[in-house]
Amino acid sequence: MLAFMGDILSNGPLYESTFRLAAVLAFAAVGEWVAERAGTINISVEAMLLGGHFGAAIAYTESTNFALAIAVGAIVGMLVASLQGYLSHYLSADQFGIGLTLNILLLGVAAFLQPKFDLSTKLANVVEIPLLSDIPKIGPALFAQRWPMYLIYVLIPVIWWLVMRTSWGLEIRAVGEDPQAADVSGINVNARRRQAILIAGLTSGIGGAVYLFGQVGRFESSNIGGKGIIALAAVIFGGWTLRGAVAGCLLFGYVDALRLNLPNILGYSLNSQLLASLPFLATIIVMLIFAKHTRQPRALAQPFIRGLK
Amino acid sequence: MDAGRIHGVLGQNGAGKSTLMKILIGLVTPDSGEIRIGDQLVTITSPQQAADLGIGMVHQHFSLVDALTVWENVILGEGGMRLDRKRARQLVGEIGDQYGLAINPDATVGNLSAGQRQRIEIIKCLRRNPKILIFDEPTSVLTPDESEMLFRVLRQVVQLEGRTVALVSHKLEEVLHATDDVVIMRDGKLVASMQTSGTKPEELARAMVGREVKLRGATPSSAPAVSAAKTGTPGLKIEGLSVSSRKEGVELNGLSLDVYPGEIVGVAGVEGNGQRVLADVLSSLRSFNAGTIEVNGVPVKEGGAGAMAHVGIAVIPEDRHDSGCVLNMSVAENLVLAGLEKVSQRGVVDADTVRENAEKLIAEFGISCQSPDAPMWTLSGGNQQRVVLARELSADPKVLVAAQPTRGLDVGAIEYMGDRLRLAADQGVAVLLISSELEEILHLADRIVVMYRGAIIGEMPNKDVDLERLGMLMGGAQ
Amino acid sequence: MTTSKGVLTRLKLTRDQVELLGLYVLCVVLALAISALLIEFNGSSWTRAVEAIFDGAFQSKGRWGETLRRMAPLLIVAVGSIVATRAGIVNIGQEGQLLVGTTGAAFVLTKIQPGNPAMLIVGLIVGAIVGAVWAGIAGWLYYWRKIPIVLSTLLLVYLSSQIASYTLTRRQLLLNVVPGEPNRLLLSDVTAPKSRLGIIEIFGNKFPLSVPIALLIAVVAAWVLTRTVWGFRLKMLGMNPRTARRAGVSETRYGMAAILVSGAAAGLAGSMMLAGGESQYKFSSGFASNAGWDGLLVALVARNNPIAAIPVALVFAGLRSASTFLSVAGIEGVLVDVVRALLVVALFIPPAISELRRKRRALANLTERT
Repeated sequence: MLAFMGDILSNGPLYESTFRLAAVLAFAAVGEWVAERAGTINISVEAMLLGGHFGAAIAYTESTNFALAIAVGAIVGMLVASLQGYLSHYLSADQFGIGLTLNILLLGVAAFLQPKFDLSTKLANVVEIPLLSDIPKIGPALFAQRWPMYLIYVLIPVIWWLVMRTSWGLEIRAVGEDPQAADVSGINVNARRRQAILIAGLTSGIGGAVYLFGQVGRFESSNIGGKGIIALAAVIFGGWTLRGAVAGCLLFGYVDALRLNLPNILGYSLNSQLLASLPFLATIIVMLIFAKHTRQPRALAQPFIRGLK
Repeated sequence: MDAGRIHGVLGQNGAGKSTLMKILIGLVTPDSGEIRIGDQLVTITSPQQAADLGIGMVHQHFSLVDALTVWENVILGEGGMRLDRKRARQLVGEIGDQYGLAINPDATVGNLSAGQRQRIEIIKCLRRNPKILIFDEPTSVLTPDESEMLFRVLRQVVQLEGRTVALVSHKLEEVLHATDDVVIMRDGKLVASMQTSGTKPEELARAMVGREVKLRGATPSSAPAVSAAKTGTPGLKIEGLSVSSRKEGVELNGLSLDVYPGEIVGVAGVEGNGQRVLADVLSSLRSFNAGTIEVNGVPVKEGGAGAMAHVGIAVIPEDRHDSGCVLNMSVAENLVLAGLEKVSQRGVVDADTVRENAEKLIAEFGISCQSPDAPMWTLSGGNQQRVVLARELSADPKVLVAAQPTRGLDVGAIEYMGDRLRLAADQGVAVLLISSELEEILHLADRIVVMYRGAIIGEMPNKDVDLERLGMLMGGAQ
Repeated sequence: MTTSKGVLTRLKLTRDQVELLGLYVLCVVLALAISALLIEFNGSSWTRAVEAIFDGAFQSKGRWGETLRRMAPLLIVAVGSIVATRAGIVNIGQEGQLLVGTTGAAFVLTKIQPGNPAMLIVGLIVGAIVGAVWAGIAGWLYYWRKIPIVLSTLLLVYLSSQIASYTLTRRQLLLNVVPGEPNRLLLSDVTAPKSRLGIIEIFGNKFPLSVPIALLIAVVAAWVLTRTVWGFRLKMLGMNPRTARRAGVSETRYGMAAILVSGAAAGLAGSMMLAGGESQYKFSSGFASNAGWDGLLVALVARNNPIAAIPVALVFAGLRSASTFLSVAGIEGVLVDVVRALLVVALFIPPAISELRRKRRALANLTERT
């Protein structure tokens, strides 16, 4: 048993894939965190990831430019977000229904359009950050990655700063806590909520693109398969703090990495269904242990119409 | 309205005063008519625009976000990009010093008392340097001292800085005491406008209601001279009731209390001494750690949903939207929420009975609504309260708990509520009146108990009430 | 005053309805136009697609029977999720509940006493119970640990397909080993012929008994939700849990009951699919094929009204049965997913707009009066 634990702890590839998988979740979770702080449970984050994934694949095929492809991924993510935002926070349609439909729609559109494009994509280059990447174990995992991965290091502090240190962010938080009070204070509640969803679209779109160029290399419509939902779980796991959400991503990324690396570490293959279930099972178990005492934004998932409580 | 004066806007619930004020700050758009500021014709479509025009409002409730800190709340909604924490905190301090509204800028609003919250509201409003300040029922959550201080601030704002203040209120004395001019609204119209000095309360009351009313204090007490004898089994007997939670600590601390059928017992006390918890326990919304509750000598099994309602404890809750009614259900449905057995047979609801019941109660309690099928949220606050009252009384309760039953209501509605409570007591119901308005308790209760830090610390009959001792008890002195 | 006002409100209502209808038409046309563009973009002809859809859904011989057969599970799932929504619970894991429920039913229908016709009833009941238990996990997670039901039901969907796959890799569970063929298909044995749902035939259109059962369920649910004490209390709970608690409605008991019913409905729907001939009476891990999602969407589009869910389910079923015809016409079957999703989005918009306007108008009326 001890030897087994030792194997797990000393396994370099495990750390590396933990980081990569966690990063993808984190892109989505960071944006989802903003959306939830503003009061929306945005299950279409799954569709936004997929949109970014697919958009980036097309853009790269056409341009062979990574940066451009990532930008296109972000735009596609925001397109999905604007649909979600417009329908749920302009027309006040059911946010879960819309989210679910968008998830199905994007999956359908991607599968439908994929044959139309002769997609050819590849992984981006590995860029090692000097000195930092020499740290044993975690150094290579964190600082010797394909370069799009590093975007997460920029995104997390920027988003945190936006939400916690700007007036806009203050309004976002107010809108998620008490839309009536925010409205009376002169804030356009539904506009703020739409903007928060757009941020989710932006980061998830980038996340989908980064996943393509930093991890899988080839587009498959099944690639995303629930990652958005796990990112959503990470936000809830983190008790609606960004720190907690990122920790959740690392944890869930680790479980996912374990799934991929366990057969190598153990030297024999485990039941494949059990392995595939692992991230979801772990998510449920972890939430079971930690979820109870967190305080959620008070107006989470409640639509706002002026004058109605 | 003239600059540099305090204007009172007086009117009953539903007279249109809050709508008028909502129009002024852009929450409601008028169908016709015009608003002028100075000589300028304006239309106001959003709170933001109202602020730009120099109109600020101090709300009765919900314009502060509980989860945010004081300084965050003060600058909320100002727009811009930079969140200058240092400047904002400084600002809170400055305005606080200037008007004597000191408050810790880093405190979380949710942890503050009603009086402190109102300070924040005022600071938030003054911060935008408005020409016109509107105060909506500002004293309904304040202690007398705090109200006095508020009026001092108003004087300062008006006299030293030349701003205009509109004080919206239903309390006569307050308007008489604190304003220069007063306008009176009824049924959406301005019915009178006069200078405050030299006006008599009776005059104002008549204009407000449109008929003669008996004012509180005009007769010393309407309570029967001989209080119902404390004999037999109490209708409601609470013994050693204790509630504590991890978050709040001890909330009720061995509270004991008897209410006999036919009497009204008033629970006096400064707000926040456990009154709300007591009402929640009697609404089966909270469970308790120790103690017993008996109704007519039969102990109540605690814990289950509706356990209290089941044994005959009716409650008029402090916040009717929270646990008094279902806003998205119809009036008729709201009138049968707790008494479904009576309108159903073998698990099937009889629509005709529901309707008959509604029509009967609507007539009996004078509820004004479009039809029994109208959604509850289309009713005004006073009428929603009547629906709650009608339903609770129609269940033939043994005990009636009324928690702050007249909060936010106007003179006419208060009078009605008082009559109803008295009537219920006369019919043999044990009535427990929880109120932070001492006046109300003195007016209605046969017996007064004082609640302090989750326990009853003193008791006296109303007929030989010792106000001095009562005040000391409320402050915690035994 | 009352009469003139009455006439006015009635006039207004009809104007509302006309508006709503217009909006519906507009949005649906728009959704179809976008779909047509997509088809053209993909190099096929949209007129052929329309023909294929109409042929597949009801025009060709025997097709409307097929559409009805596919309607049944969608309707049952929809009714279940409507019950949950009434109690204020957002269960969006019907796809998983359906799949896991069917796994249970498949075991009974293929492995236990194949000659015994009573096993049909047992199978359906087991399917419903397993579906209910699967949904109940989410309910338990919520009432015990406050984990949002939206999230847990979704997570359970991903787990459910793994469970179904697992049972299909074990011979003692569901895997059917065909001698001489590689074991890759992961299909179950066909269900015992004696425990299948009866087939009704009208004018050459065949559909299983699940169709009238589903219709019956919808009607009964509509009655229960609007006319019974249980339905009343469920609604109260969904709209104001604290008031409901004071009035004697236990959130845990009623909420849990609602989520169990919705899970049971999904499980029953899947079991009846299997017993009614879906994929030649064989169970596979892809068996649910989005019937759970579709059923949920039916409920949402039908604005949580069980009766309105009937026509909506019919339209959705028509699209499903058309997808095979589309492939024959050289258009990819996934197109149907796209069209359906676009349609759903389109169908969400009109009632949302009209509800918003209605509330705004009522609020304006209210402020007029006060």
